[in-house]
Amino acid sequence: MILVSPLARLGHWALGLLAGIGRFSTFTLDAISHGIRPPFHGREIALAFLQIGWLSLPVVGLTALFTGGALALQIYAGGNRFGAEAVVPQIVAIGMVRELGPVLVGLMIAARVTSSIAAEIATMKVTEQIDALVTLSTDPMKYLVLPRVLAGLLCVPALVAVGDIIGVMGGWLVATERLGFVSAPYLRNTINFLEPLDIVSSLTKGAVFGFLATLMGCWFGLNSGRGAMGVGRATKGAVVAAAVAILAANLILTEAFFSA
Amino acid sequence: MIELRGLTKSFGANTVLNGIDLDVKRGESLVVIGGSGTGKSVLLKCILGLIDPDSGTIRIDSQDVTRIPRQALLSRFGMLFQGGALFDSLPVWQNVAFRQLKGRMPRAIAKAHAIETLARVGLPARTADLYPAELSGGMQKRAALARAIAAQPEVIFFDEPTAGLDPIMAGVINDLIREAVTDLGATAITITHDMTTVRTVADRITLLHGGLLRWVGAVADLDQSGDAYVDQFIHGRSQGPITALR
Repeated sequence: MILVSPLARLGHWALGLLAGIGRFSTFTLDAISHGIRPPFHGREIALAFLQIGWLSLPVVGLTALFTGGALALQIYAGGNRFGAEAVVPQIVAIGMVRELGPVLVGLMIAARVTSSIAAEIATMKVTEQIDALVTLSTDPMKYLVLPRVLAGLLCVPALVAVGDIIGVMGGWLVATERLGFVSAPYLRNTINFLEPLDIVSSLTKGAVFGFLATLMGCWFGLNSGRGAMGVGRATKGAVVAAAVAILAANLILTEAFFSA
Repeated sequence: MIELRGLTKSFGANTVLNGIDLDVKRGESLVVIGGSGTGKSVLLKCILGLIDPDSGTIRIDSQDVTRIPRQALLSRFGMLFQGGALFDSLPVWQNVAFRQLKGRMPRAIAKAHAIETLARVGLPARTADLYPAELSGGMQKRAALARAIAAQPEVIFFDEPTAGLDPIMAGVINDLIREAVTDLGATAITITHDMTTVRTVADRITLLHGGLLRWVGAVADLDQSGDAYVDQFIHGRSQGPITALR
């Protein structure tokens, strides 16, 4: 009995995990399938684009600006040890576009958007607004989930593109103002060094991260427990899951794009 | 119009509905009474398809609900939720006209219709552009009632319609429900603990306890039901067959 009990618990846990993966997979496929099946709620989609895309611009821009500047300082200081200070434009460009741009934007979206989606939908669930939607002949997947996931999928790559540009310009600003680089050669080196694959990988990562961040917010919101504690747990769970999923997806995508 | 046969629903080891048989006639107002946590809301949510019953059948106009397209079924229902469940991201008029707006009714016509419905529940036109959070509890309940009746549904469910309201506002809501049901000729099921609501709204009453309907009868027979459970409940006694935790 003493031996069986931990095994039973392990089995129970494993079954629960598999069931959870199954439910999440079904939810993901359902969300995708709603994207190709009318009707579509145009107003909700437009609002989601505004909330997730446009209103995230300030936080994305500031994060990229500061990170690009700090990156230039670090590369200059580190490169100085090998007499390689001149590579600052190239390393800032590749670092921002391939990695830091998409990952930081993804994490900022997880912090700003995933938390907001999870808290909003969880609150709707505990106050019976989701049930009210259903009784008003409206599918929550179509009305709540699809607009947010679609906005994540399409807006976050655009945010990543903006973040990449602002990050590179942050590096340029620090390099020209603090480190003695000349503006025109710096920009020319940056542009010449980047390849189309760098930009494609950056935007692809943005789309995947946006999809994951919004999907997690919706999933945890719709599956929240009761009361304020349920909303809190759903929000925390959504942000943690989105951040981990983004970092894991980043590794997989980097491997897929750049493994020789 | 609504026929339930052998309806059961359990949550883990807790059986809340244990073989419910119930008929509600067209145009009738049935009130389900019972203590907290006895499964009254679960009963309504099973009929609406928000919760899947474990077994049993639900028929609307002799048609099994599982064979009726969901959208078509739900378009015949209106529901007033306990907390109102107004969408707090939408102004009041868009809450009230939600179904019409989704049905592609022009916004100006939908708004005019919403204002008219708000007037029926005693809310002035100026409340139409407010958000639910800007309304008092009683006004939210009225707005939610307006949403429930806006599309003139055949069946309306009221879940604890007077919970959390002062006695005067509760009386106003009870009268509005009675008027709405009478004017629309709708079939209504109300669940409540409030005996004033019971006596104002009900044509017929049933008591749900221990997963079973203990008694079903006309409102006129309530005080002479001869059922110990009903007597204890309507008189609010702590002693009796319904055990109360102290």
